[in-house]
Amino acid sequence: MWTRTVNGRALNFYLAGINNQNFLMRDKETGTWWQQITGKAIYGPLQGAALELVLSDELTFGEWRTESPSGQVLAPVAKYTKEYDSNWEPDVAKLPVVISFPNTELKSRDVVIGLAIDGSARAYPWETFVKQSPVLDRVNGTPLLIVLGPDGKSFRAFVARIEGHDAEFFLQSAPQPWSMLDTLTNSQWNFQGCATSGPAQGKCLARVPALKDYWFDWRNYHPDTTVYKH
Amino acid sequence: MHASSTARETDRKAPQRHAYPWRWTLFFVAALTTIAFFFIPAFIIRPFSHQAPRALLLAMALRQRAPLNTLIAALACFFFAFALWRTAGRWRKTFIAFTLLLVTFSAVMARLNYFEWMFHPIAGAEFLAQSESKLDPKEMILAVRFGSEARAYPISQMAYHHVLNDEVAGVPIAVTY
Repeated sequence: MWTRTVNGRALNFYLAGINNQNFLMRDKETGTWWQQITGKAIYGPLQGAALELVLSDELTFGEWRTESPSGQVLAPVAKYTKEYDSNWEPDVAKLPVVISFPNTELKSRDVVIGLAIDGSARAYPWETFVKQSPVLDRVNGTPLLIVLGPDGKSFRAFVARIEGHDAEFFLQSAPQPWSMLDTLTNSQWNFQGCATSGPAQGKCLARVPALKDYWFDWRNYHPDTTVYKH
Repeated sequence: MHASSTARETDRKAPQRHAYPWRWTLFFVAALTTIAFFFIPAFIIRPFSHQAPRALLLAMALRQRAPLNTLIAALACFFFAFALWRTAGRWRKTFIAFTLLLVTFSAVMARLNYFEWMFHPIAGAEFLAQSESKLDPKEMILAVRFGSEARAYPISQMAYHHVLNDEVAGVPIAVTY
């Protein structure tokens, strides 16, 4: 997700092609071509410009509405409802893969969580992540917390620092509601990365943009990516 | 008397292919130009194919210039077609007509975005309060929040529309999937 404003002007994008599973878009204002996954203008009058990333989450609807009870949902467009595929995940997984990286440790359609810290990219295999959540890691010197939500499908990534100090987080095994405990302040943290009780109450961890993607796609756009191993 | 009528008979014979070589050459060049400006990018940027960086660059460069260039080349093609028509035999007329059809198709398609025929954009996005939505709680959504404004875009819908230009809390955003 990106902001649409470039040089003070809000651009309007439209679909202009499919490039290796990601799509190309153009803006109506200048006709410049943009790459969907990088937000970069790759050809045209605005070539070289970059859209600003908007922090977004991939959550289940159920999880999101408990967090945002007054939120709004995009309404389905009546005449296209038969195009909407609620089963899109297994259906997309069947599509042919046009680019592959046979000498890498993952298979093309393996799902990963991809993130980048100061230009260093890392992929977290989904299956591994689900088994080990919360995952504590360090990329480019930055401590990270990647955690699976209470619904078993939503995920978020945070910088594992409280007031500048590195911290470790663990799932609280017993009580409802779902919460994490940190070893630094012994506070309780919710899935939004905010402390609900304890010395750190009211503070929130810094969010790290993370993308759920297929390995071949992530690797294609992050050729130097490392892969998380426990 | 006899000599002049023979001359008239010669005039009435259809000219050979090597007559008007320039018109035919220019007809072909104009036709191929029009056709190339549409078909080359369309072939390169086709779904489920790997686009090498240079091929993609060529495709974008052609596609960018296609609306104007196909128009000019198509008009030139029609011009030369008319110049060739009268003296062309039946088969050549058929060939010219078929080429003009292909040229017209290319010139028209160069200005149309057929990707949006495959994946229609959302014309006027509407939003429901989360309590009104009939989405299954297990369905995945893309969520964004600016201040107190939270919006969710179901992935099942965004996987079809691919891009939505929206504005949340006054911030223009492009929702993409």
